[in-house]
Amino acid sequence: MTLFLTALFAGLAVGSVYGLIALSYTVVFNSTAIFNVAQGDLMMAGVLVSYFCLDRWHLPQIVTLLVIVGVVVSLSLIEERVAVRPFVARPVVGLGWFIATLAFSLIIETVASIIYGQNPVVPIPGALGNGTVTVAGVHVATKFILAFVVMIVILVALEVFYKRSWLGTAMRGVAEDREVAALRGIDALRISRLAFIIAGLVTALAAFVVAPIVSADVTVGLTYGLKGFIALAAGGFGSLRGCVIGGLLLGVAEQMFDLYVSSNYEILAGLILVLIVLAVRPSGLFGTRAVRQV
Amino acid sequence: MNDMAVRLGLRDGGRTWLRWAIPVVLIIVLYIVPQLGGDGSFRLGEYEEILSFLVIAVALNIAMGYGGQYILGITAVFAVGAYGAILAAKYHPHGIGLVAMCIIGGVVGAVGGLIIGLPALRVGGFYLALVSLFAALAIPTVAQQWGLVGADTGIPLYAVAGFAPQIGGEELYIIVVSLVLLATLFSWALVHSRVGHRFVALHTSPQLATSIGIRAYRTQLLAILIASIMAGIAGGIYVYTQQFFAPGSSSVQFAILLLAGMTIGGMGTITGPLIGSIIILGINQFFTSFQQYNGIVFGVLLLGFAVFLPNGLMARLDVLSERLGIRPRAPSLTSGPSHGTAPVTAPAAAVTSANGAPAATAATVTAGKPGATLPAWPPVVGADSSDPLVVENAKRSFGGVTAVDNVSLTLVRGQIHGLIGSNGSGKTTLLNLISRFYTLDEGQIAVGSNRLDNQPAHAVARSGIARTFQSPKLMLRETALENVIPAVELRVRCTGPESILRLPRGVRVNRQARDEALEILEALGLHHVLLQQAAALPHGTRRMVELARAIALRPSFVLLDEPAAGLSPVELDLVTEVCQNLARSGVGVLLIEHNVPMVLSIADTVTCLHQGRILFQGTPAEMRADTTVASVFLGIDEPLEASS
Repeated sequence: MTLFLTALFAGLAVGSVYGLIALSYTVVFNSTAIFNVAQGDLMMAGVLVSYFCLDRWHLPQIVTLLVIVGVVVSLSLIEERVAVRPFVARPVVGLGWFIATLAFSLIIETVASIIYGQNPVVPIPGALGNGTVTVAGVHVATKFILAFVVMIVILVALEVFYKRSWLGTAMRGVAEDREVAALRGIDALRISRLAFIIAGLVTALAAFVVAPIVSADVTVGLTYGLKGFIALAAGGFGSLRGCVIGGLLLGVAEQMFDLYVSSNYEILAGLILVLIVLAVRPSGLFGTRAVRQV
Repeated sequence: MNDMAVRLGLRDGGRTWLRWAIPVVLIIVLYIVPQLGGDGSFRLGEYEEILSFLVIAVALNIAMGYGGQYILGITAVFAVGAYGAILAAKYHPHGIGLVAMCIIGGVVGAVGGLIIGLPALRVGGFYLALVSLFAALAIPTVAQQWGLVGADTGIPLYAVAGFAPQIGGEELYIIVVSLVLLATLFSWALVHSRVGHRFVALHTSPQLATSIGIRAYRTQLLAILIASIMAGIAGGIYVYTQQFFAPGSSSVQFAILLLAGMTIGGMGTITGPLIGSIIILGINQFFTSFQQYNGIVFGVLLLGFAVFLPNGLMARLDVLSERLGIRPRAPSLTSGPSHGTAPVTAPAAAVTSANGAPAATAATVTAGKPGATLPAWPPVVGADSSDPLVVENAKRSFGGVTAVDNVSLTLVRGQIHGLIGSNGSGKTTLLNLISRFYTLDEGQIAVGSNRLDNQPAHAVARSGIARTFQSPKLMLRETALENVIPAVELRVRCTGPESILRLPRGVRVNRQARDEALEILEALGLHHVLLQQAAALPHGTRRMVELARAIALRPSFVLLDEPAAGLSPVELDLVTEVCQNLARSGVGVLLIEHNVPMVLSIADTVTCLHQGRILFQGTPAEMRADTTVASVFLGIDEPLEASS
């Protein structure tokens, strides 16, 4: 039982990472109808910044957070400018944007690897220290709890933003029909930029809280990006809550696979999950609208 | 295509020596490359490695460049095929040669591709890209831990006792190059077959494809299946030439490299992906000193091409050769008469008029009233019954808006049924309900006992109901002729392999499809644009090509969505004549039009929709005498007759 609970909590923590990435995908997709493949690598860039600030330069946590936000949001805006805007400005034909964002992701990963060099993967200190809290008789690392809490806070903030504010409504409207949105005086390009700022913020926060969990390994950006997609696909496209549930589901599924099947083949858990979800319920657990954007 | 080119008076049909020069040079270079490097079999192995990757590039090009199916993680399929082949060789070292390895690789690859593709296709779009990329990530990761496939170190076949390859050295190299060329030739044959036509149609627009009866899901699956088999075969070739396979042989980064090669060379061209992949894989393989920075180079290239040159180098080459005058510029139509003005018997005059010479215009008017000699197009598909198409109490709402509310109408064969009404009155929605792009909320639509409303859209087209679109949907990169051929191919039938492999019946049916398409286009006066890319055609001509495509199905019913919008008076006359000719031939025509005088002059029955409901239904004469239509649209209380 203890083993089970430990795996469960670890799963929820790792699942929070996937959920956070899925949330930033959704923020971008809701406003641009573009799936930003580079989201995982943007997060890894944040983790790399976190490593330099905390492990190399010994900066305080709060300064680190600000630096991460600065770097990730900047990268996100650069990406919006060079890889996304050309496709938002003209009618989308084919999946050119997919290739462009994938290329951007490749560039980030290569640059990050060069900066990081041949250093071994090292753990990064957590914002709440390396302590544990006892929950239901199991020791749970505070970094796990922080990741989970931050994800829930971001989820609630985004839901409130989309439902209550005029801007949030506008951001959802643009992706649904760009022309109608334009007729109502909504500037699709500004909305697209704004979406990348918000997604960058979410990703930066994610990087800050997950850095202690994933350690300074800059080569796994694509892996996390793809797992974020699986979270999204499982939870349901376009649903913020679906992202979170899907992420947690994937995290827990992986840990359970480790525990009861084999830790060597952990990655299969994600593949099996996504294939089953797509076969049984293609729109995902919480998804309502079909993805036919291309 | 050559005989057709002659028919058009275009000697080279738009082809140039440059187009042929590239593949020829490519073939020669591929064959003699080892002689250039010249230091033993180690290098030869490296070349063979790249060659096996080229087979994957060709496969990916079929699925992605032509079929529009982004199975980016095709390296997963390659890996699965390679593992299948190498395991077979490991456990049966004596009986297995190159052919057996390719077959095993192909079969295993097909299974792998279907497992990845089947679920992802249910959602479509970029889901396939991401799911397959995840598989490309997962398979090497799993293999690293799996003892059966040699875990991290892989399976070295050269160390397996009893395995002795029958072929080696330069002989093997020549064979592998030939296999690459064979794959390329196959891709060419496929693209220019009925299967390839379906791929491109579906890639262009699912609505277009289903409107000519193409089964979307099956076609997508076929694209993935063919690509998977080829990628699996590439796995077999890789294993035979390298005698080794390990998780590192196919990383997810490799999938991205392939994509870069495809994009740079030009997806959707035959040689582009080969050239692009040779550039990218060559850099990656032979410039190892700055491999660390390769990711940046490739990333920037990929990004630059995706944004600025989405069609790749080969498309650029066409433009370039046009500028250099190597390739004749496509005749511009914007200054000349847009269609239907050149006599069939004078191809030279047709070309002149296409080039905008005003003299031709005068000459062609003498060819008679356009369409005066239209051949009959009696229904072929669905002609076994004589029942009308009946819409009963159709209802469809979108959110709170009821776009079509309790509408009934009967479309009789051999008659024209005009459907008029203001914008937003539900005309196009009704048409979309009949062709099953939308689902009915209530009511039913049937031809005799054949209920259409519970069938998929492609089945509706297949029961003999053709349609056009309000804004023409054409395959813009294809010629006018190529736009019509797939519609003919719905009814002149042979199997896919017959068409691809040019078996006797395939050759006959391919030619028949082309000839029938040609005849219909010529009847509509489009002989001078047959070989022009649809993208270069003016709006009116695009409408006419689309009309030709609908006629090419030889349907029992045609649904025309504002066929006359934006047409010149000459074109308008022709469309009018075409509608009447279709009706004379026994086809039921549903004509949505804003041009009320035209509708009233040719329709047998008119239905006027207003806010989703039927405002009026009856003959044109009755409508002229009716006051409701006039009062709603003109705000007057007297019949149309009097007001006009």
